[in-house]
Amino acid sequence: MPERLDLSVMAMVVAREFQDGAVVNLGIGLPLTCASYVPEGREVILHSEHGLLGNGRLAQDRSEVDPYVFIVGNRPVLAAPGMTFLSHDESFAIVRGGHIDITVLGGLQVDAAGNLANTHVPGKIAGNLGGAPDLATCAKRTVVMMYHTTREGEPKVVERCTMPLTAVACVDRIVTDVAVMDIEAGRVVLREIAPGWSVEEVQALTGARLVVPPDLREISLG
Amino acid sequence: MINKVVATFDEAVADIPAGAMIHCGGFASPFNMPSYLIAALARQGASGLTFASTSAGTGMEIAARLRAQMAPLVDWPVDYWDLGLLADLGRMRKLITSFPAGTGHETVWPFERALERGEVELELIGQGSLAERIRAAKAGIAAFYTPVGPGTATAEGKEVRDFGGVPHVMETALPADFALVRAYRADRLGNLVFRGPRTFNQTMAGAARVTIAEVEEVVPLGELGPEAIHTPGVYVQRVVVRPSTPIPSWDTPC
Repeated sequence: MPERLDLSVMAMVVAREFQDGAVVNLGIGLPLTCASYVPEGREVILHSEHGLLGNGRLAQDRSEVDPYVFIVGNRPVLAAPGMTFLSHDESFAIVRGGHIDITVLGGLQVDAAGNLANTHVPGKIAGNLGGAPDLATCAKRTVVMMYHTTREGEPKVVERCTMPLTAVACVDRIVTDVAVMDIEAGRVVLREIAPGWSVEEVQALTGARLVVPPDLREISLG
Repeated sequence: MINKVVATFDEAVADIPAGAMIHCGGFASPFNMPSYLIAALARQGASGLTFASTSAGTGMEIAARLRAQMAPLVDWPVDYWDLGLLADLGRMRKLITSFPAGTGHETVWPFERALERGEVELELIGQGSLAERIRAAKAGIAAFYTPVGPGTATAEGKEVRDFGGVPHVMETALPADFALVRAYRADRLGNLVFRGPRTFNQTMAGAARVTIAEVEEVVPLGELGPEAIHTPGVYVQRVVVRPSTPIPSWDTPC
C-alpha cells in the first residue's frame, strides 16, 4: 500500500477551506490540529463549546498560560484581542442559531447518507456526545476528519452506520489519510486522492461504493 | 439587610437532602469547578443524588495523572475535586450529562465503574440541549423544540414535530433543587462576575431553587460595576468564599 498522509497534511487539507472571517469549531481529537494550519493571511474566529470565542493558538510554555483560558481537553490557549467569554447556553445559541460556518468533527463511522457516528468507542461502557449533535446538525458546513480505517483495518466510511448515531444527514465532507470525499444526494463522491494511491486501492478500504467523477484530483496543498 | 454570604462550605450545603436533584457547573478546566462545594457535599454524606453536569468528572486518581501531565504548562490545583469523587463514594443515583466517560481505554472515570457496577443511571444528552433545558428552567419555559436529535437515541420517547419541513425534538425544562456553581467575584447581594469561559456555571445560576456560588472573593457592594456584573444576585441564594490557602484533602471541614 502507498503511504498515508500524516496528521499535519490532513489538517492542512481541512484548513485550506477556512475562509477569511469564518467562524470555526474544532472537535476534540484530530480536528484540534487544524487550528495550527489556518492559511496565511486569513483571520478565523475559533469557537469552543464551553463558552470561548476568538481565542489564540495553544500555549507552548508556562509563561504563556492564563489558567482561566482553556479549550476543551484541558488545553490552555492564548488570549487574543477581541476574544469573548460566554455561558454554555449562549455558546449553543451560537451553534443552534446557525452562526458557525464550519465545524470539524472526529468520526467513528460516516455513511453514504451523511449520517455520523462518533460517540461510542467500542469497549467503553458509555459514549460521549459532547456538543457534536448540535454542531453536526446546525453548523453551515460539517467536515469529518478521521483515519480512513480503524486500527484493525475496518472501513470507517460505510454504506450504513452500525454504531449509535450522533446526528443524521449532517456530513458534507470527509477528510481522511487517503482521500477527500463529499456526501452528495446519498452518495460518497471521491474528490481527491492521496499521492500514489489508485481509486481501486481507496475503494478496497472503503465500505461504501465510491462515485468517481471525471475531475478527480490528487491531494495537493497548492 | 441582604447578606447571602455564608461562613463555611459545610454550612452552605448542610440542607441538601438525600435524593436531591443538583446542577453542577464547570468544564474543560480545573479552574472553573465548584470543587469546595463538591467536597463539602461529600463530607455532608447525602446519597441517592441526581446530577446534571457537562461531564461525569475525572475523579481523584486521573486528576493526579493530569496534574503530572500538565506540570510543564500549569500547576493543576491541589484542591481540585469533581463529580468523580461523589461517584467513587457511591452518592450518585443518576447523572444527566453529555460526557459520561474518559476518552480512550486507558482513562476510566469513576462514573464508568459505577455504571458497570449497576449503581447509577445515565441519561445521555448533547451539550446544547442540556444547556437549553437548564436555561429554560431558569427562564420559566416548560419545553422547547430543537432540530438536534431526530433520528438518534436522544429523541427516543420524545415528541418529534415538523417545523418548516425540519423535524424537531421537544425537550423539557430541567430544574433542580440546588445548583453548585463557581464564579470569580461576588458581593453580598449575590451578584457574580466570572473569569474565563463561563460554562454551565452561568447557565445554572438561577435554574435551581437554591443556587450556591463558590467564589475567590467577596467585594464591597458597589465595587462590581453594573456593566460588569454577569449574573444578577436575584439568581443566587448563597455565596461562599474559597480558602486563600488551598486545603489539599476533600475530607477537611472548611
